[in-house]
Amino acid sequence: MIQAHLKKRLHGVNGEFNLDVNFAVAEGELLALFGDSGVGKTTLLRCLAGLEMPEQGCLTVNNQTWFKSFHQKTIPFNLPPQQRHVGYMFQDYALFPNMTVRENLEFALRKGSDKKRVDELLAMMSLGELQHRKPETLSGGQKQRVALARALASEPQLLLLDEPFSALDDAMRSHLHDEVLRLQQHDGMTAIMVSHDVGEVYKLANRVMLMEAGQIVIQGSPAEVFSKGQTSGKFRFTGKILAIEAMDVLHALTVLVGNQIVRVVATGDEATLLHVGDSVLLVSKAFNPMVLKLEK
Amino acid sequence: MNKLTGRIAAIQCNSHMSLVDVVIGSDTLSATLLETPEVAEYLKIGNRVSLLFKETEVSLAKNLTGLISLRNRFAVTVRSIERGDILSAVVLDYAGKTLTAVITTRGMDRLQLAIGDEVEALVKANEMALSYDL
Repeated sequence: MIQAHLKKRLHGVNGEFNLDVNFAVAEGELLALFGDSGVGKTTLLRCLAGLEMPEQGCLTVNNQTWFKSFHQKTIPFNLPPQQRHVGYMFQDYALFPNMTVRENLEFALRKGSDKKRVDELLAMMSLGELQHRKPETLSGGQKQRVALARALASEPQLLLLDEPFSALDDAMRSHLHDEVLRLQQHDGMTAIMVSHDVGEVYKLANRVMLMEAGQIVIQGSPAEVFSKGQTSGKFRFTGKILAIEAMDVLHALTVLVGNQIVRVVATGDEATLLHVGDSVLLVSKAFNPMVLKLEK
Repeated sequence: MNKLTGRIAAIQCNSHMSLVDVVIGSDTLSATLLETPEVAEYLKIGNRVSLLFKETEVSLAKNLTGLISLRNRFAVTVRSIERGDILSAVVLDYAGKTLTAVITTRGMDRLQLAIGDEVEALVKANEMALSYDL
């Protein structure tokens, strides 16, 4: 059980704002932090890991105090990162450049741990072939897998993941979603993950907190948080208009949704309000889409 | 997108689905939704909502007789017609409100639609979405 009540002044692109959060995470829960860039998600992870110190508040993990702003009168208590037993995956990976992939993972193992865990993680991340390479020779997606494996290597009681799957292709991302979920549940790890991917949050998280300007604005199950909209359409996606073409009395819109291109029909009146490059919400009734199973 | 605003008059629901009746003037139109009042707070009798439906989901009929399963049928007057090769847009007056039906030009010709004609508009309840102001 984590209980966090943390405050810290942050400098954003639009001036100063306060990170001010108060939340709890149950043991074994996977919590997602969702929100635009620069709202304080990474700072929150860094405060939990002990890499940054909040200005006010307290943080307890399984009844152990990790941070307390007025511990002895005005002197704060801040447990050093190495004593927190946290697995942290950095957004920029922060791999040790002088160590091979295997050495990066072995370094993160807890003293006395079985080295078999490194082999398991290398296999799970499909990194076996690359284990003796140095990070500088790896692609972005490969580095991200090493960073994820290293965060998992120490069997942490708290796993902190900063956009852990963002550089991966769809097949690898889907595979690692399954593997990380399996490992997190097997080891009973509590995990907090920053993600910008709604699908990922749906698939992995028990709960999601939507953050804006340092505050938690909504929290709940992914279904509760993401279905709060203004229409009853259940089939809704945001996309960007790539092309608008007239045809008869209607217009064909070409829209980029995620990494897929779709074509939809708009009426003339609608099309006059739209321009190439506009963001749009595509909404349909839940009854309309036909569902075809894909062969694996 | 066609939009008609009214108030919720009745809600019939099972565990996941609701059939919502909305009073628009002297007509009651229905929408089937994959949500229930338990999870969708706006689904309350008396609440003001708008029915949204796409122009291409509106059918038109003249002198329709017999039984039909469609829940939503209402009298409209043809105000203008924009004729295309395959599809045509028929602008309709519904008790002072403007709606549009996009139907095949072939279908329009079969009905011999002309400006001023009084016809019936038909929309399946499945095709009706609801929007609401928080």
